[in-house]
Amino acid sequence: MKYAAPTTVDEARSLLADNPGSRVFAGATDLIPQMRSGRPEPAVLVDLKRIDQLMAVSHGEGKWTIGAATPTADLTRNGAFSGMFPGISEGAGLIGSDQIQNRSSLGGNLCNGSPAADSVPALIAADARAVIASSDGTRTVAVAEVVTGPGQTSLADDEFIVEFEIDDAPANTGDAYLRMIPRTEMDIAVVGAAVRLTMDGDTVTDASVVLGAVAPTAVRVPDAEAALVGSRLDDDTLAAVSAAASAACNPIDDKRGTIEYRTQVAGVLAKRAAVIAADRAQNGA
Amino acid sequence: MSIGQSPVRQDAAPKADGSIQYAGDAVPDNALHAVIVFSGRPHARMVSMSTDAARAIAGVVDVITAADVPVNEYGLTMLDQPALVGVDHTGVAAVDGAISRWEADQIAVVIGESRAAAGAGAAALDVDWEDLPILGTIDDALAPDAPLLHPENGLPTNAYHPLKIRRGDLEAGWADAEVVIEGTYTVPHQEHAYLQPEAGTAYIDDEGRVTIEGGGQWTTEDREQVAHVLGLPDERVRIVYKAIGGAFGGKEDMSIQIALGLAAMRLAERGERRPIHCRWSREESIVGHHKRHRGRIHLRLGATNEGIITALEADVTLDAGAYNYTSNKVLGNAHLTVSGAYRVPNARIDSRAVYTTTVPGGAFRGFGGPQGAFAIETTMNKLAAALDIDPVKLRLLNAVVDGDEGITQAVLPEGVTAVEVITACAGRAAFNEPMADVEPFAPIATLPPEPTVTRRGRGFATSLKNVGFSFGFPERCEAEIHLHGDGDEPTSADLFHGGAEVGQGNHLAMRQMTAEVTGVTLDRIRGHFSDTATSGDPGSASASRLTFMSGNSILGAAEEAEKAWRDGQRPAIGRFRYTPPPTESLDEETGEGQPNFCYGYMAQAVEVTVDTGTGHIRVDRVTSTHDVGRAINPRMLRGQVEGAVVQAHGYVLSEDLQVSDGFITNPRLSAYLIPGIGDIPTEVDSQILELADPLGPFGARGVAEMPFITYAPAVIAAVHDATGVWFDEFPLTPSRVVAGLRNAGI
Repeated sequence: MKYAAPTTVDEARSLLADNPGSRVFAGATDLIPQMRSGRPEPAVLVDLKRIDQLMAVSHGEGKWTIGAATPTADLTRNGAFSGMFPGISEGAGLIGSDQIQNRSSLGGNLCNGSPAADSVPALIAADARAVIASSDGTRTVAVAEVVTGPGQTSLADDEFIVEFEIDDAPANTGDAYLRMIPRTEMDIAVVGAAVRLTMDGDTVTDASVVLGAVAPTAVRVPDAEAALVGSRLDDDTLAAVSAAASAACNPIDDKRGTIEYRTQVAGVLAKRAAVIAADRAQNGA
Repeated sequence: MSIGQSPVRQDAAPKADGSIQYAGDAVPDNALHAVIVFSGRPHARMVSMSTDAARAIAGVVDVITAADVPVNEYGLTMLDQPALVGVDHTGVAAVDGAISRWEADQIAVVIGESRAAAGAGAAALDVDWEDLPILGTIDDALAPDAPLLHPENGLPTNAYHPLKIRRGDLEAGWADAEVVIEGTYTVPHQEHAYLQPEAGTAYIDDEGRVTIEGGGQWTTEDREQVAHVLGLPDERVRIVYKAIGGAFGGKEDMSIQIALGLAAMRLAERGERRPIHCRWSREESIVGHHKRHRGRIHLRLGATNEGIITALEADVTLDAGAYNYTSNKVLGNAHLTVSGAYRVPNARIDSRAVYTTTVPGGAFRGFGGPQGAFAIETTMNKLAAALDIDPVKLRLLNAVVDGDEGITQAVLPEGVTAVEVITACAGRAAFNEPMADVEPFAPIATLPPEPTVTRRGRGFATSLKNVGFSFGFPERCEAEIHLHGDGDEPTSADLFHGGAEVGQGNHLAMRQMTAEVTGVTLDRIRGHFSDTATSGDPGSASASRLTFMSGNSILGAAEEAEKAWRDGQRPAIGRFRYTPPPTESLDEETGEGQPNFCYGYMAQAVEVTVDTGTGHIRVDRVTSTHDVGRAINPRMLRGQVEGAVVQAHGYVLSEDLQVSDGFITNPRLSAYLIPGIGDIPTEVDSQILELADPLGPFGARGVAEMPFITYAPAVIAAVHDATGVWFDEFPLTPSRVVAGLRNAGI
């Protein structure tokens, strides 16, 4: 196994093209435990952290651009970003521990392909895009289209994510992410729920509801979104959001939570996240 | 005055800065490395094992198998376990040494120049097995067609060590009962999860002794077990404890010691005298050592409408797993505590352990007490609810007092303080006043509670726990003190004691007590601890006994040393072996007898908030009241209380060991969830009573286990108070809580 640390996107492209079976990484917070537990070693480990573009956070032209290998701690500590996207910041801030968050990245959290990835639902709710370096250029896809199943992505073997683009949130928009784990920290989501709402006064004008850890990938819940748009978040609406979220679940049954539990609590968290998102939309984060 | 103070522990700074030497740190540069190979078969007969391929691997020095074992049997209280399972063994053992009875039965010790080489050798062992039926549960093991796991014990079933209580006139008791509470309680395994997994180094010392440096709870008992398997007299084996990173009962039995001792002895015979180091990974530790017993308790309690207990019937079954370890003793303690600290005039209790092909049950803080207390205290709380009587008042109506007989029809040892403890706890917790408001709980920063679905409640529980070994075991503890000085009074002292410092602070407590009785200042008391070459038999760091027993041994040794001092001897040496009043095993038919010489009494009041949407439970406040007799070191004592509460918090709320078909399927701390700092109770109020025990040194009793025992039933009662739902099974994982609430229509 070799280690390489390219300093440009092109250099990384070449390394991947020339060395089939290679693997890119950022913080390696998933990679190292996987290798220790017996996952086959790649031919070349390509460390993306030396490429400036992948470690940069910038704002301009109506959007945020976030390098795919940027430590999530850089995002959660960024007041302007967290002010506009408190839900994304919350999700990123729940990955592992404080120490892990100095290493973990949005690109790694997404491409690891876990249905329980904490930063993913709120990114999808914000219609975030991934800019992907391919052998012959770059392509841009919705974050929602990157993960195709547990541990599986739509990226080719020689592709990697360079950065994420998130359009500025419209006025009177708020987002929120809630995660259920059996204890308070250092665990993997049993259920995750992200909600983003745009409000006109008391009325919801736009809504995104995305669940994590309850299906093979993060899932949008169109029925919950339809219930929210045009509503004033009355009890009936929240009950409909809850029911729609539960209905969208197709979870596994494992040590952390039963199918029944995940399904019920997805509804509970979606409802609570909607209330928080609405409050933020109306009153700021 | 030295006792009653809280000086800084001598091991505090080196533990904080990392310089202290645990067994896993102290690896000699020239050490060989041992990997202990588990069978990986819950129940199977070994057909053959070839070590040829393993020995051919570069860096593999030797492979120790059953053929190398002089006496292939061991066990702390029963010799029912082979040291190494194998086909070719000496036959000097009652137990069939060719059968693996759980997944971590040890089959070989591979010695390598490195851990990697030893690991490669372990993977290259070529073993053929004939699988036998897996008895994965108590019910599997009790099925009529179940094979016998230990036919050598002569019993016709896998149930063993039956215990009985037959007290009073049960029919009359039921006739007097105006209300009956009946339930079946299921209690789970618990993993000790000590910070330091098992580790040790073995070598032949300058005097030719097979020497094992590591961790444990009782030096001389470890020595006896190792010596028995090695076929050596005790004096040819030496046990030395390094710093020990937690034990909690989990290091009371053998883990790596026998394998290391065998390796050191056989390699030395073959001319290889380098030290041999072994260190278990977390997974090896969780799979490879015993657990708190899971089990099932059926309890039926009758009382008058005023709340006076008239009759009790209980049936206790504990899963012993593959080997006894201390199951017979743990069962005995559950048998005693299942009737609580109450006057029970008429009782019938039947208890037994059951062998299964799963991880053995064994010692763990509380030693059967938590299981018994969960059943009786939950029953008492249900009785209080049924009669609409205050749970504290109900307990005071029934609590034992000095002069009362215990459930075994022997008068309880003098110093019964249940009433004082219950009263003090209820008062401190303001149990009869409305609960104070608390901040809305937020178990997770981004998962705030929804105020309309959170509910608060409080619960109460009390119990008693023996201090010291029970049931006729020859209890003892030895100390040696040397007094030095040129003048009329000694100016420094040496204390030689075997007692294990497992993190609880006993070595400082022993030095404080030595200072107190010799008049030498604490900084001039030198401790020499836990080496069988220099210290006597301490008994175990268990049964909440070490302060009580070591204190009495120190009092005796100091008296002897002072006599020698007055006689002009320099240094003046005193040796003493303390033995408390003898105890008795219980009558086989009636359970009559005096099982213990001292008890500690405790009560706890707990306040919780339950999020009925997610099933999260937050413990807002714990009042933990203990009669310790005398607080030798108040700060360490509070540490014991808080530590036990946190450990019990995991037991009742989150720790969920999964055992399926004989295999532990979550042997990792990422999947077996002990509490994190954000999970523990918001406030633990340690209320210490000092009601002197007549036999205790300076009046001291013990405290190590007591705060654990009543926590689960107190939390369960508080959850009922909050939600109206009783949980007869735990841990109260969010999944279990939500399922229970939904079943109740919440």
